[in-house]
Amino acid sequence: MSNENITQAEITAIFPKVAETMADALGCDLADVKPNASLINDLGAESIDFLDIIFRLERGFKVKIPRGKIIEDARGALSEAEFESGGVVSEAGVTRLKSFLSEVPSDRFPSPLKVAEIPKLFTSETFCKMVIRQQKNVPTAA
Amino acid sequence: MDGHFRAFSFVDRITSVQAGSRVCGTYQIPPGVGVFYRPLIAEAVGQLAAWASMAALDFKVRPVAGIAASIELLAEVRPGQTLELAADIESVDNEAVSYCGTALVEGKPVIKLNHCVGPMLPQEDFDDTQAVKNRYALLCNGGAVPGAYGGVPPVNFENVTSEPGRWIRANLPIPTSALFFDDHFARRPVFPGTLFMQKILELAADVAINIPCTNGGAWTARTIADGKLRTFNPPGDYLDFEARVAKHESDSLVIVVEARKAGKLTGGAKIIFSAEPKA
Repeated sequence: MSNENITQAEITAIFPKVAETMADALGCDLADVKPNASLINDLGAESIDFLDIIFRLERGFKVKIPRGKIIEDARGALSEAEFESGGVVSEAGVTRLKSFLSEVPSDRFPSPLKVAEIPKLFTSETFCKMVIRQQKNVPTAA
Repeated sequence: MDGHFRAFSFVDRITSVQAGSRVCGTYQIPPGVGVFYRPLIAEAVGQLAAWASMAALDFKVRPVAGIAASIELLAEVRPGQTLELAADIESVDNEAVSYCGTALVEGKPVIKLNHCVGPMLPQEDFDDTQAVKNRYALLCNGGAVPGAYGGVPPVNFENVTSEPGRWIRANLPIPTSALFFDDHFARRPVFPGTLFMQKILELAADVAINIPCTNGGAWTARTIADGKLRTFNPPGDYLDFEARVAKHESDSLVIVVEARKAGKLTGGAKIIFSAEPKA
């Protein structure tokens, strides 16, 4: 999925509803859910919250978001072997991730980046983009 | 571990299973048990779904805690009655199981679970895998002897403060020991999510009782919506609960209940009441 397919206006349009969904799921103040807030590091999300948020977004936006969709989309055209090795994201994988997660500031990408740490990068805007992709039902090739 | 597969197990027999899709079973509420909380019916359906999902993945992982979009509380049950359980597995993989399900008594639905999700965690962290496999084989081949469940000890709120009809705050000390911890879970005891939901129901009812009901009726809890348990609550934990009115109309009432541990949200639900004639 190319990020250029998603406009800032589209993100801005759905952000309030996504933010409200996240605040409900995480039990945090709506004001704390900023577009660039890291769900785990800033909002205290647990792994179950990702399931919950996706679940609520599906209902709220009437879209179907398969589990593991973000990681799958993030990998794009890269094979699993090209994307990671031994649980560590490859250089090509990191390049791909920085493009796919363009909303995440570069300095939040640790080096090396473990696959298990990828969810720590996700922001509120990451979920906005995921919803928009599903609404458009566009292919996710790089 | 005297309580293992006894103190908090609510499937006596698995009567049919279609791998990764539909599973049916039964559970007889022991006649001698004093009270059988309504969330325990949901526990029975959830456990049935858990058996099917674990079997689909060769028992390497198991669902623990989770989310329920809604649990419809359709009718009361009595000790001695047999629950006819069914669960439809919507999806299952190493990350999570999603399912819906029902429990019936004498052909009439008493509970309905919609869009439940349970995160999958390593089986070995919670129980002995071979023991779990053996139990599943027993349930599928003749079943376990009914009547093992002997009730749960009272778990009471303390430090209750309130503004009647608006909100209640209270603390819940999780017991440091109880037989159900042997069964939930053998290697990692945690306070069961359905007992957590029972305490949520109780607190919500305590708020509702001070709100006048149309035509002299009574508020009856009919749906647990957006139920969620985010974190494990081991023995000895201390939780802060708050229940508050979110919506009040002539024939319905919504009370939101949240529980926190050291300020961090550990779970909650919305309890939807309907105005019904007094029994």
